[in-house]
Amino acid sequence: MSQAAFQSMMARLIVEPDFRDAVRRGDVPLRDDFEPRDRSRLLRIAADPGLDVNRTLFKGFRLGKLRSLLPLTCQLLEGLPLQRAVAAFWQSQPPTSFYFLPEAIEFCDHLLRTPTRSRYLREVAAFERARLELERAGVDDPLPQRVEFEHEPTVLLTALAEGRRPRAVPLRRCIVMGTRDAAGAIEWSLLDGQVSQA
Amino acid sequence: MQPLPKLGVGLAFQSPLKHLIEQPGDDLDCVEVVPDILWTDLGPGREPRYVDDPEGVAWLREIAAQRPVIAHGIGLSIGSASHFDRGHVRQLRRWHALLDFPWHSDHLAYHVADLDGTAVNVGITLPLPRDAATLDLLAPRIAEVMATVPVPFLLENNVYYFEIPDAEMDEPDFLNTLCRRCGCGLLLDLHNVYTNAVNHDFDARALVDAIDLSLVGEIHVAGGMTLDGTYLDAHSDTVPDPVWSLLEHVLPRCRNVGAVIFELFGSWFEVVGEARVRADLRRLRRLWETCHRPGPRAVGGRGSVLPA
Repeated sequence: MSQAAFQSMMARLIVEPDFRDAVRRGDVPLRDDFEPRDRSRLLRIAADPGLDVNRTLFKGFRLGKLRSLLPLTCQLLEGLPLQRAVAAFWQSQPPTSFYFLPEAIEFCDHLLRTPTRSRYLREVAAFERARLELERAGVDDPLPQRVEFEHEPTVLLTALAEGRRPRAVPLRRCIVMGTRDAAGAIEWSLLDGQVSQA
Repeated sequence: MQPLPKLGVGLAFQSPLKHLIEQPGDDLDCVEVVPDILWTDLGPGREPRYVDDPEGVAWLREIAAQRPVIAHGIGLSIGSASHFDRGHVRQLRRWHALLDFPWHSDHLAYHVADLDGTAVNVGITLPLPRDAATLDLLAPRIAEVMATVPVPFLLENNVYYFEIPDAEMDEPDFLNTLCRRCGCGLLLDLHNVYTNAVNHDFDARALVDAIDLSLVGEIHVAGGMTLDGTYLDAHSDTVPDPVWSLLEHVLPRCRNVGAVIFELFGSWFEVVGEARVRADLRRLRRLWETCHRPGPRAVGGRGSVLPA
């Protein structure tokens, strides 16, 4: 067996707990081209409790990346709602992508299409998604990002940025436009009275 | 190993530690930075592929004007059998031009593997089999890194929570052979050694005694925590006594070491407190000065360059 195939199996044992459990039960036939030593190694690794530590660290690492890229959204969902949202996202899209920024954007898309009882979630997730799109564009000339708000964006986003849970944010239907200048700095401007009725 | 400048004692950069690093004083001789956290990798095919964090880079350049900055990467995944990311190596060369770090390092591990034809970033440093085939995989890559980035390159001994059984070499033999064959140095992470010793029940001192300490270019120390019966390399505390004991044992013997770096995750800084971090840095400094009295300082704040 090639080194690449061995590493792939080892990574899968960490990323996919169902696969690990099946290997532990002997339900997964290992490929015929596995050398006896590699086969023995994989079976013993699958049975090693240290693998569970790696699984925990792996999830913590992915969650840490989402927290760092989407601080306001994660602050809004803090606690059980965040755990549930991330678990549902990883259930539908296993956390296997190589690049974290696209994964964070996909998490925003997941939140935006999932029913929610949070009155602010769509606005906050859309705002952070827009910021990531501007960052993803790099030094290209990105299209302006348009985010519709139902609530006063300054009050809402400031509360989250300060680590507070927003409460009774005043209603304000408006648009926030994000642009990126040639130096890479992102600028936001607030436009009233241009919210679509869709 | 190529000779390294004698820098002294340093702290690994994390955003919450900025204030501590910025303060003038004698607790820090150098700063280590994980460059990967200060750029966004947009992926192969994008031009430019890497977008630097402009504020982070500006801050780091200010720091680099005062103290040497060392690069300690997490993104190379040099042991990945199916990937060797030359774009990443070129990005390191670009950052060397920006910061003029005197050496750089990464982990002796892999974190990128193919799953169903897709590259997966597991995000944790996974162990490599200590086999001749692994050395064969690593040797040309290390040579390429050393040819591309014009400063010495070190690899860090890995922490591992499960063993890959039936190894052809024990860990010291593997590390010694790797460094001698490839010309890289060893970043000896003593907290990784301690963590592995606790979890896999071996004698940490016997392990470091079997390592050729002349190959050590840098040392890491840190603290950790126990979770569900496993001791974690969590970088969550000050340096525990057994790691101090290991450091006191090896530092006088590491004649080519350039720096000892204390690693603490920023999210734990408030819990640990600045006073305890500074106390550890001062203890490191006293130990360093006992073992490696500084030579004449070079212009620009660099330490003296001692021959290997």
